Amino acid sequence: MSAVGSSNPEYVVARVRARRGSLYGDEEYRKLTRMGPAEIARFMEESSYGADINALGSRHGGVDLIEYALNRNLAEQFDDILDWSEGSLYDLIARYLRKFDAWNVKTVIRGVYTDADQSAIEVDLIRAGEFDDRRIRRLLEADSIDAVVEVLEDTIYGDPLREAYAEYEETDTLVPLENAVDRAFYERLLSGLGNAEPTRQYEAFLRAEVDFRNATNALRLARSGADIDPAAYFIEGGELFTRDSLARLARNLDELVEYIGDSQYGEELGPALRELEEADSLIAFEHATDAALLAYGDRLGTIHPVSVTPIISYILAKEREVENIRAIARGKEAGLPADQIESELVIT
Amino acid sequence: MLEATNELGNVALQAGGTLTDANAAAALAVGLAALGAGYAERGIGSAAVGAMAEDDDLFVNGLILTVLPETIVILALVVVFIV
Repeated sequence: MSAVGSSNPEYVVARVRARRGSLYGDEEYRKLTRMGPAEIARFMEESSYGADINALGSRHGGVDLIEYALNRNLAEQFDDILDWSEGSLYDLIARYLRKFDAWNVKTVIRGVYTDADQSAIEVDLIRAGEFDDRRIRRLLEADSIDAVVEVLEDTIYGDPLREAYAEYEETDTLVPLENAVDRAFYERLLSGLGNAEPTRQYEAFLRAEVDFRNATNALRLARSGADIDPAAYFIEGGELFTRDSLARLARNLDELVEYIGDSQYGEELGPALRELEEADSLIAFEHATDAALLAYGDRLGTIHPVSVTPIISYILAKEREVENIRAIARGKEAGLPADQIESELVIT
Repeated sequence: MLEATNELGNVALQAGGTLTDANAAAALAVGLAALGAGYAERGIGSAAVGAMAEDDDLFVNGLILTVLPETIVILALVVVFIV
């Protein structure tokens, strides 16, 4: 777990490819959508989630057990990947996995803000990022937002949070703090990437993700018609929007849909955009962006077999699996029919 | 290291063209082939160990694939016998 030395993609790729083989396929998903929460937990116990289900089984039950086991497994697998990688490979993977750090920081801040119980916050954390257990414990023990900011002083979130804290004190809303965390993450994500061909493809993938995030945000704002400055939610680094064009387009839904349809993503997102116009549903669009990213990730993994891209491809597939199983379990809990749950899944 | 090799080459040439000696050239050929094989095995070996860590059954396959580049050294060894 270090950024020194030469990178070792061969080793990590071999391990990750083996793990990829044990991800759930169409067949398993079809079975899962026909099970109740308890059966899903038992099914998971017999697969790669066994250790996690057993470790948490005594404390939780039902859908909560599934959810926490998924989070725990995800965190463990991604921690393993970071453990194995060395050198520039570590840096490239850590860039992406830092999003879990950002998620944890936001969760803790929200928890402190709403006076949530420490153990309640703890189960929602996904310990997959770069923060070690000691820092996470200190984060959990923080009893005020000021203390949270202090714990993060020496990380990349330190300075932006300190600045945002002043604004938070004035307005007493979490938006400036959360924006500061997101922006710190995205700034680090795309800065100083190397120039090797696999890295360029990785960068193209990251840019596409930023673009989709911007597009989804803009669509949400345009539909809600709320009087919020879209520029405040703009994330730097994408190719599709600039701060000004996003601010202009977010005011007009039709123009925005047309703009996305004409862009380089038009082919992949076209059907979802038409559905958005007809059914007025954002869910289809969000699924389409997820599916497009996943398909791109799959393609990434095959062009340069010994580089960072197959690893990223696995990370994406794993994340998607966890989200799919969660959707199934939550859908079952809410009593949705199997075919409706199936339409919520993103499977390539 | 490269400079040192260069130096060595210069010294060797000045000392009367050792590399024109067929035996020395053959030895060099085997040495370079072994170096190439070693480099290839580095990548394959670490991938094989990675695969084995996930699944013990891959031990035999990993071992075979890891020593496969060794054949290039054996082929280079043929040179030694024909000069």
